[in-house]
Amino acid sequence: MRNGTAIARVPAVRKTGRVRQRLRRLDVKASPYVYVAPFFLIFLAFGLFPLLYTAWVSLTDRNLLDPATQFVGLQNYTDLLHDSYFWNAVRNTLAIWVISTVPQLALALGLAHLLNTKLRARTLFRMSVVLPQVTSLVAVALIFSQLFGRDYGLINYVLGHLGFHHVYWEAGRFSSWIALSVMVMWRWTGYNALIYLAAMQAIPDDLYEAASIDGARPMRQFLHVTVPMLRPTIIFTVVISTIGGLQLFTEPYLFEPLHYGATGGSDRQYQTVAMYIYEKAFASSQFKFGYASAIAWCLFLLIAVISAVNFFIVRRIRSAE
Amino acid sequence: MAAVAVPRPSSRRKHLSRRFHRAGPLTYLFLILIAVGSLFPLYWSLVVASHDNSAVSAYPPVLTPGHELWHNIHRLFNSGEVNVSFWTALINSTIVAASVTAAVVFFSALAGFAFAKLRFRGSKALMLTIVATMLVPVQLGVIPLYIEMIHLGWVNRLPAVIAPNLVTAFGVFLMRQYIVGAVPNDLIDASRVDGCHTARVFWHVVLPAVRPAAAVLGLLTFMNTWNDFFWPLIVLSPRNPTVQVGVSTLASGYVEDYALVLTGTFISILPLLAVFIVLGKQIIGGIMQGAVKG
Amino acid sequence: MGYVASTASAKSHATITLRVSLFGDFGYHDLYKQFEASHPNVDIKEDIQSYPDHHSNLAKHLATGAGADDVEAIEVGFIAQFTAQPQYFYNLNSYGAKSLSKRWLAWKWAQSLARNGAQIGLGTDVGSLAICYRTDLFKRAGLPTTPAKVSKLWPTWQKYIATGVRYQKKSPQGVHFFDSGSNVYNAIVAQANPAYYTAGGKLIVNSNPKVRQAWNLTVDGIKKGESAGYAAFSTDWNTGFKNGKFATVTCPAWMMGYIQGQAPDTSGKWNIAAVPGGGGSWGGSFLAIPKQSEHPQEAYELIKFLTSPAAELAVFKQTGNLPSQPALLKSKEVQGFRNTFFSNAAVGKIFATSALKLKPQILGPHQGDIQTAVSSALQRIEQKKQSAGSSWKQFLKDVANVAG
Repeated sequence: MRNGTAIARVPAVRKTGRVRQRLRRLDVKASPYVYVAPFFLIFLAFGLFPLLYTAWVSLTDRNLLDPATQFVGLQNYTDLLHDSYFWNAVRNTLAIWVISTVPQLALALGLAHLLNTKLRARTLFRMSVVLPQVTSLVAVALIFSQLFGRDYGLINYVLGHLGFHHVYWEAGRFSSWIALSVMVMWRWTGYNALIYLAAMQAIPDDLYEAASIDGARPMRQFLHVTVPMLRPTIIFTVVISTIGGLQLFTEPYLFEPLHYGATGGSDRQYQTVAMYIYEKAFASSQFKFGYASAIAWCLFLLIAVISAVNFFIVRRIRSAE
Repeated sequence: MAAVAVPRPSSRRKHLSRRFHRAGPLTYLFLILIAVGSLFPLYWSLVVASHDNSAVSAYPPVLTPGHELWHNIHRLFNSGEVNVSFWTALINSTIVAASVTAAVVFFSALAGFAFAKLRFRGSKALMLTIVATMLVPVQLGVIPLYIEMIHLGWVNRLPAVIAPNLVTAFGVFLMRQYIVGAVPNDLIDASRVDGCHTARVFWHVVLPAVRPAAAVLGLLTFMNTWNDFFWPLIVLSPRNPTVQVGVSTLASGYVEDYALVLTGTFISILPLLAVFIVLGKQIIGGIMQGAVKG
Repeated sequence: MGYVASTASAKSHATITLRVSLFGDFGYHDLYKQFEASHPNVDIKEDIQSYPDHHSNLAKHLATGAGADDVEAIEVGFIAQFTAQPQYFYNLNSYGAKSLSKRWLAWKWAQSLARNGAQIGLGTDVGSLAICYRTDLFKRAGLPTTPAKVSKLWPTWQKYIATGVRYQKKSPQGVHFFDSGSNVYNAIVAQANPAYYTAGGKLIVNSNPKVRQAWNLTVDGIKKGESAGYAAFSTDWNTGFKNGKFATVTCPAWMMGYIQGQAPDTSGKWNIAAVPGGGGSWGGSFLAIPKQSEHPQEAYELIKFLTSPAAELAVFKQTGNLPSQPALLKSKEVQGFRNTFFSNAAVGKIFATSALKLKPQILGPHQGDIQTAVSSALQRIEQKKQSAGSSWKQFLKDVANVAG
């Protein structure tokens, strides 16, 4: 392998012929495109094309079982606006997202703060909080569905001992949201904590020195030094959580006792938008591809809008510090 | 800082960054509680998997492992008893995860190298496009992708879950960030001057240098592919499942045997758990490095 | 239950594998062995999924042209959906099924006929109805326990609900009269003809007074606290059998096998009485061969065997699934069959009599989805999330959503 010390070999190159030079130039000019080509080719075939096709399908009444397809323009979208099940799913999705994200990130921040000390068994603690990431969504959903069971679940057992009534977690609206949020939080808090931890450790010490010389107690230091310095990282985690959280599917899908076509409970109390897409497209004997595609585009819009909103909120709040 | 006239030695020590303070007992208490909370559900699933089906509906709940784990594992793989072939599921997942990981690491290194070190027209725009694709939800393209798979004849077959995942925007992004820092420009220039064409530069200079990032990306990709559920659920069937679809099929069996379901769940986690225990430190390092560099 | 579905010995030159896709235990394991023994080149593998998944996946596989098994079971709730698309199935008449048609109850044969006359499935069982009840719980509540006396308690559904009130007065805390509103409702509606569809295929859910009546009766029972509120086939429902959380359950013949599987420790504590209203049907299936199968001839041999009189009799003795063939229903073996799990009740006679009297209901393409919608609707009332009036309105909305 040639390394930097072979510079003395330079003169040899100058003796290269013109064909070789042309090939060299071709190589320099063309290689980048060749190298990024695999990404774009595959993305084009399996990423972009489906995206554009979804837009097209959403303007038709395509149905898997029925070969005849008709162009219907924006009919699917106007139907959506009047579809109370759609809005129900939007409400559920947003609610679960808020309940699962806000406490989670706050908890992650606190956890990072705790981890940001000279700890014995440091790696062990870090590993144990990230371990939930390794478990699959399917596993999480099945395990927690048992824990939240009405008559025999462990959580109700503990509640019973503390003197509370058993909660029918799956049946209630708010209670099912809480159960699902717990699943999401369990999985992601540790991961986000590590991200915050890394960013915290990159904060220069002088800032803390300056703050405490000015008389700031640890809590104020946290609020006025740590958090503002963490702002880009917080923005990052908020946006990522938004994108992921609004797409929630696996946990609520498996929370249902019988997965009756992804309806999200007897009253659709925890049906998310992603589940509604699945229900319309694949679950019941409807296979309404056109309609489901319209829902999918609305989901994308929702994610983009909410991400942007979050981005601006977090940016504003922190800069006020 | 020059305005500080009064040196106060004792308070000086308080100014040390928190991370050099020794953790107090309260900190340890909270951390232990959180660690227990993280580990408990997994432990509990092992408890249920090691009993027979009666333990699930026992009241008060069972909290200690039983003796049935080996028996349940045996039942799980005895496909006459269970409604899905779990061996097939494990093998399929391994094939899919391994091929996807290899492809993602390689193609991400290729593209990441191009964006990091090669100058070409449109590189900024293309990079932005790649980042933008991260915003797109998985569910959006699912229906046409399914139709595509019908036309390709890949429904219910493994290529359907491998092909769409061969490249990821996240991988390209990660590699680019890493290569920018880890591969010095002089090294590349020097080998160019030596007459290396780009491919050689890539093979001999860049690839060896990105090994740490490749390892982290590989681990994360393997994990994510192993755990993927939504798309395999749609395009594969219980006859030819990946392990996540397999576990979910177990759970929708006619007679519900939750001991068996959680045994399947546990087995499905086992490979990742093993990787995590062996390479946990690297994974954590990778996550944290990615956080700072991002 | 450690049974392996295929025998290793049959490895001759052209071994073909037949895959059979079901949504439950049809009791075929021994029959597979017999078939493999007489057809050494055939290897049988069974796939089981949950009831809704099975039918949804079947539709998906048919439409995408890949993934269907050689033999697919179709339940009566979905049969109309698939007879509307006969192009996806082999016409069994071309394999000689027509000559066998007299075996079956006439209406059973007719249920799986497509409009163009093609026969897409052979009938397996019929779900004729009775009421299974716990004798020990009845005794504690001061009710009679012998089938004859119990059957007299409820000649009509109104009297059934009234018996529930009587039962609840003395029953121990937490033990309800029946398991789930939707099961009771399904039994009542099953006796209506027409129910959801007219013979011409028109949807009459809203306008049919019998549907409303079934609803009102069930809601009445729920309001009187008689329902344990379970979702049928959920884990909690299964555990409810084990722990004796309800005293009666509407029992098609195949429910016997189910109870035996879920709560083996309750053997001898059950008995069977007649269902209010006389006859009734819940369930019953067919075996079909999708055109995707590469071995239609062997598949036809298999389903011919599995639905042969001898096979259906064997299945009846094992799982309680009632044969759909009148000769069997009238035979001594069936009529005289008793089940020790159910206190030696003459189950054969009870169910067979009910089946022979049965007049089948007209089915429509979205039957299964309507059933799901009404189950959810009743569950919402049981879970106290909606009033009966609002839940009914939402149910109608769901029906329009699915079938409109």
